[in-house]
Amino acid sequence: MAPAISDPEGLIPALLEFLAQPDVSDESFNVLALRLFAYQFKHNLAYQRFCLLRGQTPRLVKRWQEIPAVPINAFKDLTLSCIPHPDCMRVFMTSGTTRGDVKGRNFHPSLEVYDASMRRHFQPSFMQGAERIQMGILFPTEVMMPNSSLAHYLALAVEHFGSFKSTYFMDEAGLRVDALCAVLDEAQREGEPLALLGASYAFVHLFDALDERGVTYELPVGSRILDTGGFKGQSREVPMEAFYAQLSATFGIERKNCINMYGMTELSTQFYDQGNETIPSVKRGPHWIRSRLVDPLTGREVPFGERGVLAHTDLANFNSVTTILTEDVGVATQDGFVLLGRAQGVETKGCSMAVDELLRSAAA
Amino acid sequence: MLDGSGRITEIGGGMKPIAFRAGYLPGLKAEEVAWLTLDFQAQKVDAGGRSEPVLMVEVPLLTTAQMIALAHRVREAGLAQLKAQPVSDIVRVIDAAIARLLDVNNEYRKLLEELLPRVTGFDAEMVRLGLNGFLQSFRALQLHRFVAEDFANPKILDEFQPQAKQGWSKALGADLTVHVWAGNVPALPLWSMVCALLVKAGAIGKVSSAEPVFASVFARLLVEIEPRWRDCLAVVWWKGGQADLESCLFPLADVVLAYGGSAALNAIQSRVPSSTRFLAYGHKISFSVVSKFALTTRKGQACARLAALDVARWDQQGCYSPHVIYVQRGAALSPFGFAQMLAGELAALEPKMARRALSLEEAKSLASWRESHEFEILKAASASPLRVVLGDKSQAWCVVYSDESMALSPGPLNRSVLVLAVDSLSEVCDLIQPQSAFLQTVGVAVSPEELLPLAELLGRVGATRICALGAMTSPEAGWHHDGRFSLLDLVRMVDVEHSAEVLAENFTSYES
Repeated sequence: MAPAISDPEGLIPALLEFLAQPDVSDESFNVLALRLFAYQFKHNLAYQRFCLLRGQTPRLVKRWQEIPAVPINAFKDLTLSCIPHPDCMRVFMTSGTTRGDVKGRNFHPSLEVYDASMRRHFQPSFMQGAERIQMGILFPTEVMMPNSSLAHYLALAVEHFGSFKSTYFMDEAGLRVDALCAVLDEAQREGEPLALLGASYAFVHLFDALDERGVTYELPVGSRILDTGGFKGQSREVPMEAFYAQLSATFGIERKNCINMYGMTELSTQFYDQGNETIPSVKRGPHWIRSRLVDPLTGREVPFGERGVLAHTDLANFNSVTTILTEDVGVATQDGFVLLGRAQGVETKGCSMAVDELLRSAAA
Repeated sequence: MLDGSGRITEIGGGMKPIAFRAGYLPGLKAEEVAWLTLDFQAQKVDAGGRSEPVLMVEVPLLTTAQMIALAHRVREAGLAQLKAQPVSDIVRVIDAAIARLLDVNNEYRKLLEELLPRVTGFDAEMVRLGLNGFLQSFRALQLHRFVAEDFANPKILDEFQPQAKQGWSKALGADLTVHVWAGNVPALPLWSMVCALLVKAGAIGKVSSAEPVFASVFARLLVEIEPRWRDCLAVVWWKGGQADLESCLFPLADVVLAYGGSAALNAIQSRVPSSTRFLAYGHKISFSVVSKFALTTRKGQACARLAALDVARWDQQGCYSPHVIYVQRGAALSPFGFAQMLAGELAALEPKMARRALSLEEAKSLASWRESHEFEILKAASASPLRVVLGDKSQAWCVVYSDESMALSPGPLNRSVLVLAVDSLSEVCDLIQPQSAFLQTVGVAVSPEELLPLAELLGRVGATRICALGAMTSPEAGWHHDGRFSLLDLVRMVDVEHSAEVLAENFTSYES
């Protein structure tokens, strides 16, 4: 059988097999990462030019750590795709919070690998051994937001892990608080565990709505929460500690069952913590993604325990680039990393003007 | 760890961190004051060293009552002591202090050389050279010139002087000035401190957490040389924006001078009553212009070296440091050739004058700036104007060249500079227009015929200081900082009108 147009080198079956293994050696991660790098260097011409600018080619790169990491801003400025992008089945776009209406784009010729990556890691990270659970989704549907990777992610969660009673509670008019309260009431009454999944800021809106009604819940044992996305660009910023305290108090769910997912449009794999009893929690990824904490300028890894910017090598990201440089600051731990927020612009000390200050004065 | 005088002492441990007690607080004993310790860590070293405290600086936390008492004390002493001394006397004291600081064997000088690199992270050699150049602008010759710049007849600061319009005038310095200093470049407080002294004004200065050392040391040195100035100045600290303290202190001052970003300045201004004069020195942006006449094959390299010095000194942290260099086309050396030479000169300076280690945030800003130019290059069609990023990411400088001229915009500093080709010097004026409210220094390498016409154009757009390429970081004595008068803003004139003199003639004790 001839390879599909979306997979000229037969990578998809290889990747699916790789994801299906229980764990992999450093060596086999390296081999596949380098194979993907060679593939992306050959077919993704914007990436090829980026690598050449950095003086790197597949002949020179011997370890996955040396693969040139693409800053996430490049997803806005460049078209990073091995398969010509009109032939791609799906494109996920960022919400465009940092640079106005310029959106980062990640093209997916097929979602086979993305979906497998999501399912294989979601199951052990969130399901706690259950096969299915009733889900309440605090995010619009995939139909409403076809370019949102989070909408697709949540649709996968409902399809593969949600019970038949799972429901979306966000539509064009916003959060459907009445309907959600009815489901919360019912879950409490019937003793059926419920999982609420959605954007972090949606929970904040829900707090406000429930506060107004003066209600809190004591959801049954086995209930849990998944929030994601933080609060960047939202009207109300809530400190993490207060957020999880309120989440736990409002729904009667222990903080160890309040899971945060860290994911990005520019990746095809997610990270999870094991609850948020202590803040900040350690985030972990599956065996097909590896993360490093680097100096944003030199790209060199920082000493263990020091602050750095996160760089991820995600083998499921086979069509754009495996290795990205984020703007997220973190610290490495033995088996994952802790997120410390976004790298802010420099606070200027004196009288020389810096970019951020200018932007602020221009906006004023 | 700290001896009685607040001098440094060593603390045990591997890296030999040292401690210093900042501030100068006449009338207050150390034990009457609460102290806060600021830890200065070695910034993460590029090679990946560990952060360890290299210096601990204790800053005083005065109560509002202590601050008010201090303000009254300084005001009274200024009136009684400074106002009674002729300007030449004051110049003599400052000159003696500067002479000691220029002497490498002097204890105060050694202290500064030890502390300033640790506090600011700047390369020790850069601090040493920078300090020398800076201090030389404050010797007696320069100080007299400084005074003469604002007062055609300097004696007007000492006594009533006859005026050409008839009558008599005297310039009376403020009784109390309050200074809120920034910490971007070491020793900057010297400017406003000296200005206050030259007009015989008592001064209370708030040091910034980023550089609390120089002003503290200088105040102690002055008082050692001239003990009668014991109570005429004070160096304090408070956490910027502390409303209760600021609201009590600012109304006691005749003049408040503040340096910093617009947000900080607005906050300060809101606490300065209308009866107090407020002088704000906000964020500024500077740039350079290189004319084709400076770009002969023989002279181009020297110009590139001068431009590199402007970029490297203080790692561009000064308001006078260039963000962009506009280079004229049409000479033997092309603008791109100039950019390449500049890159070479910056590389050559690195071993002599290392860039200080950057914080994660600074590194991030620099990386994003580079990358945004790289993305433009990757996006561009082959026919688009040349744009090149010179220097790889491991180097401690970055030059971006573009054939397409662009409007002046602030860069991420720390030895990053944009070189832009222009056809004519007048074209530059359009490109800087968007920043007209923020312009300050323009470093120029132009022909004599071009100098004043260009200055005229630049001045109209908003530039306030035009100097030689290579001299951007060393404003000359008596410069008009941000276009203002250094001393005139600190005095009020007292006029004795001619009528009083005429009338007085009627009341002699003798008959005429």
